[in-house]
Amino acid sequence: MTSIVTDRMQTPERATQRKSLRARLQEWLPKIVLAPSFAITLFFVYGFILWTIYLSFTKSKAFPSYTLTDARAYQRLWRWTFESNPPSSWYTSITNMVIFGVLYIVFCLAIGLFLAILLDQKIRGEGVLRPIYLYPMALSFIVTGVAWKWFLDPGLGLEQTMHQWGWTSFHFDWIKNKDYVIYTVVIAGVWQASGFIMAMFLAGLRGIDSEIIKASQIDGASPIQLYRRIIIPLLRPVFLSALIVLAHMAIKSYDLVVALTSGGPGGSAWLPSNFMYEYTFKRNEMAVGSASAVIMLATMSAIIVPYLYSELREKNR
Amino acid sequence: MSAATVGARPAGSRVLNRIVIYGLLLVFALVYLIPFFVMLVTSLKTMPEIQNGNMLALPKDPTIQPWIKAWGEACVGLTCEGIHGYFWNSIKMVVPAVAISTLLGALNGYVLTKWRFKGHKLVFGLMLFACFIPFQSVLLPMATVLGQFGQLGKVFTNAFGMNLGFGNSTVNLVFVHVVYGLGFTTLFFRNYYEAFPTELVKAAMVDGAGFFQIFRRVLLPNSLPIIVVTVIYQFTNIWNDFLFASSYAGSGDVMPMTVALNNVVNTSTGVVEYNVNMAAAMIAALPTLLVYILAGRYFVRGLMAGAVKG
Amino acid sequence: MAFLEIDRLVKRYGATDILKGISLSVEEGGFLVLVGPSGCGKSTLLSMIAGLDSISEGEVRIAGKRMNELHPSQRDIAMVFQSYALYPNMSVAENIAFGLEMRKVPKAERDKAVAEVAEILQMGHLLKRKPSQLSGGQRQRVAMGRALVRNPQVFLFDEPLSNLDAKLRVDMRTEIKRLHQRMKTTIVYVTHDQIEAMTLATQIAVLRDGVLQQFGTPAEVYNNPANVFVADFMGSPSMNLIPAAVRAENGKTVVALQREGEGDLVLDPGQAGEKLSAVLGKTVLFGIRPEAITDHDGADRNARTLVDAECQVEVVEPAGSDTFVVAHLGGKHVIARMRSDVPVRAGHRAPFTFNMDKAVFFDPQTEQRVA
Repeated sequence: MTSIVTDRMQTPERATQRKSLRARLQEWLPKIVLAPSFAITLFFVYGFILWTIYLSFTKSKAFPSYTLTDARAYQRLWRWTFESNPPSSWYTSITNMVIFGVLYIVFCLAIGLFLAILLDQKIRGEGVLRPIYLYPMALSFIVTGVAWKWFLDPGLGLEQTMHQWGWTSFHFDWIKNKDYVIYTVVIAGVWQASGFIMAMFLAGLRGIDSEIIKASQIDGASPIQLYRRIIIPLLRPVFLSALIVLAHMAIKSYDLVVALTSGGPGGSAWLPSNFMYEYTFKRNEMAVGSASAVIMLATMSAIIVPYLYSELREKNR
Repeated sequence: MSAATVGARPAGSRVLNRIVIYGLLLVFALVYLIPFFVMLVTSLKTMPEIQNGNMLALPKDPTIQPWIKAWGEACVGLTCEGIHGYFWNSIKMVVPAVAISTLLGALNGYVLTKWRFKGHKLVFGLMLFACFIPFQSVLLPMATVLGQFGQLGKVFTNAFGMNLGFGNSTVNLVFVHVVYGLGFTTLFFRNYYEAFPTELVKAAMVDGAGFFQIFRRVLLPNSLPIIVVTVIYQFTNIWNDFLFASSYAGSGDVMPMTVALNNVVNTSTGVVEYNVNMAAAMIAALPTLLVYILAGRYFVRGLMAGAVKG
Repeated sequence: MAFLEIDRLVKRYGATDILKGISLSVEEGGFLVLVGPSGCGKSTLLSMIAGLDSISEGEVRIAGKRMNELHPSQRDIAMVFQSYALYPNMSVAENIAFGLEMRKVPKAERDKAVAEVAEILQMGHLLKRKPSQLSGGQRQRVAMGRALVRNPQVFLFDEPLSNLDAKLRVDMRTEIKRLHQRMKTTIVYVTHDQIEAMTLATQIAVLRDGVLQQFGTPAEVYNNPANVFVADFMGSPSMNLIPAAVRAENGKTVVALQREGEGDLVLDPGQAGEKLSAVLGKTVLFGIRPEAITDHDGADRNARTLVDAECQVEVVEPAGSDTFVVAHLGGKHVIARMRSDVPVRAGHRAPFTFNMDKAVFFDPQTEQRVA
């Protein structure tokens, strides 16, 4: 064994002499590598958030103004919050947000779980069905919007098709109706995301220890009891992850409203994200737009911070 | 497999059960497919057929003319040169943005798991939170900063005869997508490397490999599953983005695909050519759709294993 | 001066000391085994020798040179990990050659070195495979090959056999011992398995809770344990530790063990009597290994003090080569190791012979050795 190249022994010796500089660089390298990303995050995320908050306390109109004034933008939003008749754009946006958020999340979770449970019954052709449910997630909101706009168009889409098939009393014009247009956004949104939620639940179901299921069957649980009492409670972490993903997508939804409804009749399909965009870039009310962005951020933080906190702490153990 | 196999039950009700399950699954499959089907058949029909026919009917005389028109002649605003230019804009934006954000995410994940330092949790927490912010809360400052980049670009143009990328819309969008994609790519790689055996890193250290050698020779070759997840995720997100695109490259010939598509659909000059619109939408959807169909399986699997804990 | 010296080594995480001042040394060519229950700090100690964990206080020296600030790759050590830590993306040959490649050894030399190692470990036919295509034992060999090829000053083994099944573990143990005898390279080896420690070591260091309990040759540690912990930890089945009263009888110091339903069993402690006279009237822990309690004919004929006594037998456990006989003495189950064909039956009385030369005595409070 000693025959294996003894002159190699010198290499570490030589390395030792150069050590101090190289070793110190090696020690710092990880931090040097991480630093740009962290600096970028600090500036372009947290710095910008502060910047936006600052702007919301100015009189910025079409161009940013940097003279701090007062909370007038928030006062206006506060006033608009209660202006329901006729509804202010802000009132419409936040009520739409509640309607859209709740329905979108509930339907995505329900359909996603339902499909996952159905698919988990040893289905032949699962490999074909799964991508069919999942593919809408690959599409951009713009494409989804274009497709559903066409599909729901009273003159050319579903309604006309039903008429041609003889159901002449069929009437479906939600997409042109200011009271119902937000529900078309829900339909398109659920269509797009529920398959993805299904995939999350399916993976969760596949991750459950099969011995638990065998044990509960020996205990005499019926299939429905099995799901209700054993499996669904075990999926709690998936529910939580799915909820976070959906809440996040719901608050960010902007493109779908634009592409599907172009904002709806009189802005009746607006979400806060649309409100922000319109007020900031089109109505020259930058301060109000910034204030609405701050409120969106605060809402999202209220949901996400406890979740992240518990996730990171959990990993501590 | 968690499938609840039903033990001793009458054969009849079991058959009925299966019929109901398959029936429901097929109905849902139809619902998911119909919008796509309608888009596809509409894009292959002529305008008269669309106006008089049934949306769900197969084209009587399939034509790819709408696709050709969408690609080469459709009007986006006032220019009528089709969407191919915007398609390439998106490609030019998405490829570097995905590559850079994935590489940085991998390096960050590597440092945050294998070279931990005091405060690594805080750093990660701050980067993670950045994933979840509504982008509206950074939209305006970024517009201002990009405007400054543009000014800088002009200065450079005067000084060196080129802008060094400053003020170029594609470069701007690449930058924006890298910045706001970093959180996700870091999250993916961190969670993956968290489960990556640290003993391998130690062995490589004893073997004499340095920081980058360990990354390149030991971690990276074993990261394929998470690279697939990250690339697919970033690719779809960036390709499909509309908010940043419309805010920072919302007009002219620098628009990415999504913005151009929205403009094609909303261009109100003359008759609305639904078949061309649908063809354009199909073209816009094609890259991400292909990625999902080809690699979707790995995406979901990897996402569940690495990113979303379940 | 010893070859590898560990000098008052301390490892501190925050306010807690994982290692509380460990000093050890091994001569060149020695085989040092660090043994102890999980959480005792033995793996941390190894990591600090390797340079994978930083040193809070104290010093590690190899061949007289301070190692503390050196990167693992500059300490001229090689390590075999518990999980083997084979690079999954590289073939066996690439795994073995990786360390040389990092040290910029030319390709031809690397190939030659890999071939030599493969020859030694008889795994030439595996060189082109990936680690995932190998069995547990083969992976273990590759991990050793990766260490061997570097020809370092010190080999470090971190529980290398703990992931193998029982039979393979015994084979590999022999193989490691043979390799050591052939190469005569200094080895530091971590294990929680005291049999591995006994069979392999030239020196054993027993650790508990970051404190060195005893450091010595296997025979010293086995026959002369420094305290109750070492006595109990080393040996299988472990040493009998029986509460006993130290009394004076007929001018001699004796130890008396309580028996149920009959008088005390009084034993002559032999040479230990002199030291025991210092704790006259007190209770001690009487430690005696199972193989020092036998049937009469199975006793060591060269022993100076053999004591015969009749005890009630509770359980008889034939183990093939021997029969373990359990009796009840001093409130404890006491295991004796008798010959396989010994005619004892559970529930009956049987003659036991105590080899008191092998007896050790501990203070029940401090758990330290008194005699």
